[in-house]
Formats: sequence, C-alpha cells, structure tokens
Amino acid sequence: MELSQKVESLSEIEVTCLKALDLKELKGLDEIAGSARIPIDSVRRALEWLREKNLVEVVEEKDERLVLTAIGKSSLRKALPERLFVEALVELGGRGSLDQVRKKSQLNRPEFNVAMGIAKRNAWISITPGKETVLELTGLEKELLDGEYALEKVLKAVSEESRQLNEKALKEALKRTLVEAVMSVEKRARLNKEGEMALGMVGKVKKRSYNVHGAVPKIFIGKKQPYAQFLEQLRQKLVNLGFKEMKERLITQEFYNFDVLFQPQNHPARSWTDTYQLKQPKFGKLPDKKVVAKVKAAHENGGNTGSRGWGYKWSEEIASRLMPMAHGTAADSRQLVEGIEVPGKYFVINRCFRPDVVDASHLVEFNQFDGFIVGEGINFRHLLGILEKVAIEVGGADEVKFFPDYYPFTEPSVQLSAKHPKLGWIELAGGGVLRPEVVKPLGINVGAIAWGMGIDRLAMLKLGIKDIRYLFARDLKWLRKSKMVVE
Amino acid sequence: MPNVNVSLKDMQKLVGKRLSLADFKETVLYAKGEVEAVDGDSITVDIKDTNRPDLFSAEGIAREIRGRLTKDKGVPKYKVRTSSVSVIVDKSVAKIRPCIAAAIIKNVKINEETLIQMINSQEKVCMTFGRKRKEAAVGIYDWDKLKQPMHYRAYKPQAKKFIPLEYKFEMDLEEILLEHPKGKEYKHLLDGYSTYPIFEDSKGVVASMPPIINSQLTGKVSKKTKDLLVEVTGYSQKTVNTALNVMVSSLAERGFEVYSVKIKYPNKTIVTPDFLPKKVFVMAEDVRKVSGLDLDSKEIVNLLQNARYDARKKKGKIECLYPAYRDDILHPVDVIEDVLISYGFGKIKPKPMELAVEGKERPEGKRARVVREICAGLGLQGVLTYTMSSKAKQVEKIGLNAEKEQFVELANPISESYTVFRKRLYPELLQFLAENKHYAFPQKIFEVGKILELDSKAETRVSEKDRLCIAISGKGAEFTVIKGVLDAVADNLGLKYELKGNTEPALEKGKSASVAIGGKKGLVGEVNKTVLQSFGLEQPTAVLELEI
Repeated sequence: MELSQKVESLSEIEVTCLKALDLKELKGLDEIAGSARIPIDSVRRALEWLREKNLVEVVEEKDERLVLTAIGKSSLRKALPERLFVEALVELGGRGSLDQVRKKSQLNRPEFNVAMGIAKRNAWISITPGKETVLELTGLEKELLDGEYALEKVLKAVSEESRQLNEKALKEALKRTLVEAVMSVEKRARLNKEGEMALGMVGKVKKRSYNVHGAVPKIFIGKKQPYAQFLEQLRQKLVNLGFKEMKERLITQEFYNFDVLFQPQNHPARSWTDTYQLKQPKFGKLPDKKVVAKVKAAHENGGNTGSRGWGYKWSEEIASRLMPMAHGTAADSRQLVEGIEVPGKYFVINRCFRPDVVDASHLVEFNQFDGFIVGEGINFRHLLGILEKVAIEVGGADEVKFFPDYYPFTEPSVQLSAKHPKLGWIELAGGGVLRPEVVKPLGINVGAIAWGMGIDRLAMLKLGIKDIRYLFARDLKWLRKSKMVVE
Repeated sequence: MPNVNVSLKDMQKLVGKRLSLADFKETVLYAKGEVEAVDGDSITVDIKDTNRPDLFSAEGIAREIRGRLTKDKGVPKYKVRTSSVSVIVDKSVAKIRPCIAAAIIKNVKINEETLIQMINSQEKVCMTFGRKRKEAAVGIYDWDKLKQPMHYRAYKPQAKKFIPLEYKFEMDLEEILLEHPKGKEYKHLLDGYSTYPIFEDSKGVVASMPPIINSQLTGKVSKKTKDLLVEVTGYSQKTVNTALNVMVSSLAERGFEVYSVKIKYPNKTIVTPDFLPKKVFVMAEDVRKVSGLDLDSKEIVNLLQNARYDARKKKGKIECLYPAYRDDILHPVDVIEDVLISYGFGKIKPKPMELAVEGKERPEGKRARVVREICAGLGLQGVLTYTMSSKAKQVEKIGLNAEKEQFVELANPISESYTVFRKRLYPELLQFLAENKHYAFPQKIFEVGKILELDSKAETRVSEKDRLCIAISGKGAEFTVIKGVLDAVADNLGLKYELKGNTEPALEKGKSASVAIGGKKGLVGEVNKTVLQSFGLEQPTAVLELEI
C-alpha cells in the first residue's frame, strides 16, 4: 500500500493514537490512553491496526509479578495458623496441653498440626510428651509477637508490591501457596519512520472513505413475548374459523372441572397427587339448584340421561371445592352450564395447572386449547372433520390418523395423531362426542362434540424451542434475540 | 393409562394364530390399546380405557383380538364347576369392608409369563379399577396351604399375628399398619376403625389382612403352586364381582379349571364367580345418529359379535349381552363406541361441517393484544412469568406485612417457589430483572397477565384481573421517565388518569404515586433502595402496574 493510501485509510482514533506516540521513547498503553484521552481498549485496537499498516513499532514485555493467593490474602487478613497457635498458648499462660491449645486456637486438625510444626521448627515452643503432651512457650516466640516474623513480613511486602523480599521466607510462602507468581504481558509502542511521515501527511491527504462494513451498535427493539404472540395468533385463527372465545379462568369449582364432566368423585384423577387444591379460599358457589340436582342424579343413577350412573352418593361439598384449572375442558363445562347458542362453536385458550416436577418437558403451568361444537345432527364424523381441519390449519400437520381413546366425558372418544413435517407422528389432540350424562342434565339435546389440544408442543416447534421452560423464558438475551413469528 | 407388557410369542399362543408385530399393532387397536414400545419379544401396550380392567392383561387383550381374527366371537363362555368351599363372612366386617367374592382355580400350570401377567393384572386392577385398593383389593393364595371353610372377620389390632409378605417374622395388625411398607401405604383405608379385617382358614391360619397385605406363608404364589384361591374385597358386591371375574376369566383363558365358592353372609348366601352376561339395549338409529355412519341393524349386530357381545335384533331394538368381566357400560353410547371401534376408526371418513356461525374474540383478549402492541411500540421487551408465586417474592421482598397479606393459596404445593397465586405483577418482573443483570442495560420489559385476589362476592371467591406491568432498569430509570411511559400508554388507549399519594411501600416516597385510570387502579414510581437490594438489583429501576 502506498503511504498516501495508508494515511487516507486512517480512522480518527488511529490518528489520535499516532499523535500521542513518540519516535524514540516507548510509551505504555496507559500513558497513551491518558495523553490521547481515549479509552484504553480503543488504544489497544488502534495500535493493532497501526501495526498492521506498519506505522508503529510495538514491543511486548513479559513481566513476572508476585501476588497473594486467596489463602495468602485470608491469612494476611485473619492471621496465620502459627500466630493463632502461639497466641492461644500466650492466653493459656504460656503452657498448656495439646487439647487445650487446640480448643483455644480454634484451628482444625490439619491447620493445628502445621502450626505446631512451624512453632517447633522456630523453637517458639518446647514439647514434653507424656500421658498428656504438654506444650510450653520458650520465649523465642517474641520475634513473632513483635511483628518480626519473616513470613508475615513477606506476605505484607507482596501485598504492597514491594520488591524487597526475604528469599527464604518467600520460598516458604510459595511452598505454602500463600503467594504465587503470575505472568503478564505489557505492550509499549513508538512511531517508526513511516509512522512519523504519515503523521506529517495527516490532514493533507483526502479523508478516509466511509466503511459501510463496520460493526454498529446493537439495537434491541420492543416486541411481544414469543409465546404470548403465538397464542394471540392462534386465537385469531380460531376466530377466523368461526369460533367464539370463552372466558379464561384460573380458579374453578370442582363442579366444572370434574362433576359436570361426569368424573366420579372417588376417581383417582381427583386426588391430591394429580391436581392442585386450594388452602384458601376453599369452597365456591354452585350454579342454579336445578342444574346441580340433575348433575347429581346423572352421577348417582343416571337421572334423565338414559344412563345407570356411577352408583354412589354424590356430594355437593366436594363439587363446590375450589381448585386451579386442571384442564381447559372445565371452561367448556362452565359455558355449557351458563348458556350457549345453538348451533355454536366455542373455544378457549386457558392456563392450566398440575403438580408435576418441572423439567425440559413438564411445566406446572401450561396452556390448553379446548373447544366444542353443538348443533342439530352433529356427530362423530364431524368431530373427525373438525379435528383434521384444526390439526392441519392450526397445527401444521400433513396427515392425520384416528385412534380409540378414553375420556370420562366423551363417548365415543378419539385421539388424533398428526404427521408433522418435523416431528413425525405425534399425539396432537383428543376429543369425542360429549356423553349424554354431560349434556342432558344441562338441557342440551342436540349433537355436541368436544376436544382439547396441548398447544405447548406446537408452540415449541414453531418457536424452535427444545426445552419447554423457554415458553416462559427467563433469559432476556434469548428473548431479545428471538425471531418474530410470521403468520 | 395402564401400560401392559405382553410377549408376542405368548400372544400368538393365546390368540391361536401367527401374528407379526405389524398385525399385532393393527389389531391391538380393537382392544383400545396402542403399542408404546417394543423390546425384542416384549411389547408394551398402552390401554386407553381405565374402566376396562379386563384389558389389563395379555389374556384379556388376546380375547378381544380373537373376536376379530378368529371364529371365536360373542360373549366368551367359561365353565364354572361347583365346589364345596365356602367363605363365612362375620358381621364384624360389615362396617369396615363388607363385601367379598372368591373363586378356586385348579390344575394351574404357572409358567413365567402366566405368573407375570397374573401379578401385573392384579396390581393394575387394584390400582385403576379398584381406585388404589379402596373399591377393590385382590388377593391370590396357594390353596393347598389353606383348609376350608375360609373366614372373613375383624380382629382387634393385637389379637392376631402373622408374617406379612416379604417379611421373616410375625407382626400384629397394628405393627403391620405402622411398620410394613404396604401397611404405611394403605393404612388410610382402615383409619378410624378399632378392629381390622382378616381373611383366614378354618384353623385360624391367616391368608391376608385385606386390603393391606397377604401372608408370607399362604399368600405367595410360585411356579410350583397347583391350586389357587382368588379373593376380592371392597364396598360393593357388584364391584368386587367384576374384579373377581376379570382375574378369573384371564386364568380360565389359560385353560385352568374354575370352581365356585359360596359366600355366606350373616343374612344371605351368594355364589361367586358369577359369569352371567349383563344386558343392554341399543337403537340402530342412535348408532347412526352418534356415529354419522349409515349402518343397518345386521351390520351393527355383526360388529358387536366381533367385539365379544352376544347381539341380536329384538322388537326394533338391538339386544346386547356383554361379558360379566365388564362393568363399564353405563349408557348405550358405550356400546356405540364399541361398534365404532369394531368398525375401525381408520375406516371412518371425516365429514366437513357447515355451520352458519361467526367467530368472536373476547373483549379482554382484544384489549390485552392492543396493550401489548403499545408496549412493543414503546420499545419494551415482552416477558411471560408464572401466575403461581411465593410469599417470599409477593410479600417479604417488597416490604409488606406477612400477616396482613392474604392470597389465593395452594393446599398441596410441591415446590416452595409456587405456593400462592400472585396479587402483583411487579415483583415477578423485578425477579426477572434480577436474573438478567449480566445483559446489556437499559433493560425495559413488560408483561400482560392475570393476578388473583380474594373476593367473597365472586362465585369462586376469587377475582381474576388482567394487568399490565412495565419495569425499566438502568441509568435514567427515574420517575419522570416511567411517568412518560404511563402518559404514552394512557394516551394511546384514549384514557385519562389521575395520580394520588402512594401507599405501596416498595416504591420510593415522593417519587411514586397510585394511579386511577378509566375506573381502574394502578401504581407508578421508582423502586426504593431496600427493595432493589432485596432482589439484588444494582441499577435504578422504576415500575408501572395497571389494571387493564
């Protein structure tokens, strides 16, 4: 490269740096940063560039420095074991048994043994063996007590970066890993001939052209949480498919979560281990007495539903217990009780709760998408039809298959497996024709089909997540980097 | 749903046909099963229906498959021989665990597979159908070690001793409940009684302590056992009979001989097992209506025969007799499902539906969406946190009084992090910031989510509210800035707001306020030093929380 070209390519920082350098004297980075008034990192970068352009000479000097280790620092702060040992003996009146000294000094066994060895080597103590070993100060411990102990002096000197060190004590300090040697590299730089010429040409040559390829500061835009956005989009799609949205609730009476859905009250799925229960508030209100009486009859003997029922005594108290929603279907049952339009298509996306151990594939809080359709002549084939449609249009499935399944509130019941372009065959949704024991007590005498879908897995797929916990990501960097889902 | 392990070789023997794995995968669907895993000859089947204990064994699955693949159709017939054995039920068990059913099985040849199937299906029948042994607990005994007649009666805790299963020494009944692992597990089923049920023989040799544990000496079955006694206890004769039928019919499927037992209650005597089929009527019209398939009565009858029903047309209806090992048919729709399974779900064509209805989003959903858009426009990053939280975050760290703060609270939390439902959003966002201190500042985040408050007027005693929370952290996160954010949010929602004195102790006095906006409430201000410290936050931080 021609010198003029080099000068032309100089950035402002490079020029500032050049101006701060001298032709003869080597200058350290700190010094350059100080006189040029730019950050030391900028100096470091600029020198790299200038060296590449062969305008400066950079000299690297390796330097070995002694520093205190963590143990060294704490020993300096709290005192060495041998000092604690001797001080303990002093407190004991200059004489004491092994046990007494150990207790008094509060040293642990290895520390105590080291401290005693050192004290003996320095002739600070005499040891009289016997039934009980007796330790006694000799008077030579004065050196230590007067602050003349060489090892302590070395530690202090190292901490003050002094270079005058007692060699023997330093050796011991290194051996006891109180002190260690660290290598550092110090860079110093000066102008070379070409650099000096270049400096003279700055300002006389046309300025460096703008570098469009350079890095620019990062901008973090404002955006929705990816999973929240996914759920919003899902809602929009369902509304577009003609579904009415039901109210999302987090707390429900067991009545809606279980009883309306014909789940018997002694069923293990209603137990402490399978669902969350509330300490407070404990009980909620039940709806209209007539509805409650009919649900009760459906459980006990079938009532007006044509069923023989479960054959047990149904309890209103159990039904009015409150709980966090265990599944989205509880929103269906509430809507069915509170009133529906016939024909009607309904859906909900509901936060649900289950006592599970949280890991890469389980959450204690998750979302379920549930829906139902009522209308004259609605049957099982329509259910398969809508499930297929939802799986393809919402779930992105290529192909679907149906298998028998079981839910307490539907009969016939079906499971939909979907072939997903990335996941292969997955169980995507379950549903069925709502049982007469569910709909008849509520005065619904037309066909009614219902289904539910775990949407968390779909969301994971769409957002490129392998660990389900990232749906509720607690990592700001990840959220900032996350892509906006288009669709 | 119960997982049942079967051996493909054993399955072929039971079905009486060569079955490839693919054949099995296809036909197990007729038993409401799905192959979960395959390991050599061993296959794990997931049985979907928890109310079909008859499918919880290889024998039961094979029985269903035979209905489809062989000429063995209709209700299976099992020969029950009469025996002189009786179980004498003492009135002392009437209030504790009143019902019992039993059968003797003779000339059994127990190989490895039979033993595994028997033990596994016993376990699953007790757990699922028996509601964790409460409604039905099954015991199987070595009949050669017992002398008839058998007695079912209650004893005081110290009045009886025996060696429980897998133990080497005798224990009394109380010791078993307190010390034996099964005693501890099922003790609650006998809570509140001063005597406990015992099943024993005429010499007083204990067979078991239902529903807790069998005796090590008589209640252990091995490959050498020749004759078996099977017994089920519970609260309903119908339930224990069904459970007994499930166990016994599986053994009968292996070709073993079944003998009946007389159950002598104080006031009546019955004979078990009772294999008399049960009856239900189905209308062909209802099958068509529910399924959407155009099936005539003859087709329905054939499909039901394959599904192990004895079905026939009778006076415009279809009379369906179903096996005594089933107790899941509550309503004709349950039969309709069996018709459809028999028909094959794979053959049913989905049907499109044209309903003239319009979709509608809920207003709160719409509002949340708009608020999120405003926040994104303000350059804030959306976050999502859990609605369940802890008192540490919701009370202690934000300087509130633990005794005054009431929450919607879990009775059975499994983690200290999730014990209550949150009442405020901002502690959750402060915690979020605390976990992200190492990333670039300023950090500006928001969440739209629910909070829960106790409300004695609500029908669930809880009022659930949607809130917006914004937190900004870093240099310049001052009151004027967060108030500017409040201005922007209010303006864009077309709302006016008023500020009043702040009562939230977490916010800096003089640099915070409570907000009244569109008839709803909120708060705004700088988070004070103590609270910043309690979350470990080093940068100045300001928050805004509004009900939306």
